[in-house]
Amino acid sequence: MMEQSSIDLWKPVKVVKLRVYKYNPKKDFFPEWKEYEIEVSRGTTILDALLRIKEEIDPSLSFRYSCGQALCGSCAMMVNGRQMLVCRTRVLEVAHNRDFIELRPLDNFSVIRDLVGDFTPFFEKHRAVKPWIIRKDVEELENPTGEYRQTIEEYARYYQFTDCLKCGACYSACPTVATDHEYLGPQALAQAYRYMVDSRDDGLDERIAIVDSDHGCWRCHFATSCSDVCPKYVDPGQGIQLLKRLIVRRKFGFRPHKPAEVLPSKIGEVKRR
Amino acid sequence: MGEREYLEYYALNRRGVSGWFKIRGYVLERKLYLFHRITGILIVLFMLPHFYSTGWHPGLWWDALLGIIITFHVANGIRLTLLELLGIGIGKPLLVKKPFQRPVSIEGKQRYLLALTILLFLVLAIIWSYYAVLVKPLMGG
Repeated sequence: MMEQSSIDLWKPVKVVKLRVYKYNPKKDFFPEWKEYEIEVSRGTTILDALLRIKEEIDPSLSFRYSCGQALCGSCAMMVNGRQMLVCRTRVLEVAHNRDFIELRPLDNFSVIRDLVGDFTPFFEKHRAVKPWIIRKDVEELENPTGEYRQTIEEYARYYQFTDCLKCGACYSACPTVATDHEYLGPQALAQAYRYMVDSRDDGLDERIAIVDSDHGCWRCHFATSCSDVCPKYVDPGQGIQLLKRLIVRRKFGFRPHKPAEVLPSKIGEVKRR
Repeated sequence: MGEREYLEYYALNRRGVSGWFKIRGYVLERKLYLFHRITGILIVLFMLPHFYSTGWHPGLWWDALLGIIITFHVANGIRLTLLELLGIGIGKPLLVKKPFQRPVSIEGKQRYLLALTILLFLVLAIIWSYYAVLVKPLMGG
């Protein structure tokens, strides 16, 4: 077998049809599907293909993207009926045994135009669980004397959930969100758990009142599609089950952690050799 | 539906009940979620005549089907209770992740619980069907 040079990676290897959802709710009565044929090479991502379509074939095509390297979570959409980040997914990865790809906006997000969904309810639900550290020692917050001590075990409890991009893939895949539009959703509930087990946080009971509600964590019945589609392997499904366990334990008086001590600051005390 | 309803339907892009049935390409747990919902609804439908007259039952093969529906719902319900309330097999959050690691909640120990659930369902369903189809008619039920 001949060794491939790096130049060959850019050589077009296949012609792929992209079926793209075109819909402008302000103008169109029905959505329509448009097909674009495009030559792809081994490294072409779906975002590259969409950008080329926008530049060369159809400038009216709308989609959202920002960083192009799976760090911002703007470009999540339905690729062949599954939630994916298109900047990270190569065309040949999803079209290896077929010659077309179907692109739709994310399910359960209202359409603004074409492939762009409206994230307002999603972010409102995220905000509803108070995704910030709540402290009761106002004096320490106003005039800090040091930093909060946290062991590696305490850090390990929540580190995984801090990777969340808020791309909306889990929210879109959840079958409970499909029928209950007020359900907080996997992203918000996993983030609630992330702050509840943080040893620096004092807002456990405050957040339990929010998530232990009609449209809170008890609506989840472990379909695990959220964890299945998460592009950053955050595993929100696990977070929600741990959250439920935490609430059950809290009813018996359990607290997940002791309040974090303040470690006196050593700035200015360290002498240079 | 009128023009306005159509527009709202497409613009809101909500899956509704069809979202439950969208199981292709997702994990096994999602399929169990769908079956759990359907069997739950069917049990409620059975309950209506059953409460009217507790001696009522649907008949020979329908009894076996009823058994399959109820045993599945029970077995899966036990699994969900253990997972949700006690967190059995759900695993711990990871501190260090491999670049392409499948989620712990899917690939972890809860899959053993899932296998046990299916085993329990099969055993209970076979016993119930055997009783409903062979034993009960002999007893004149």
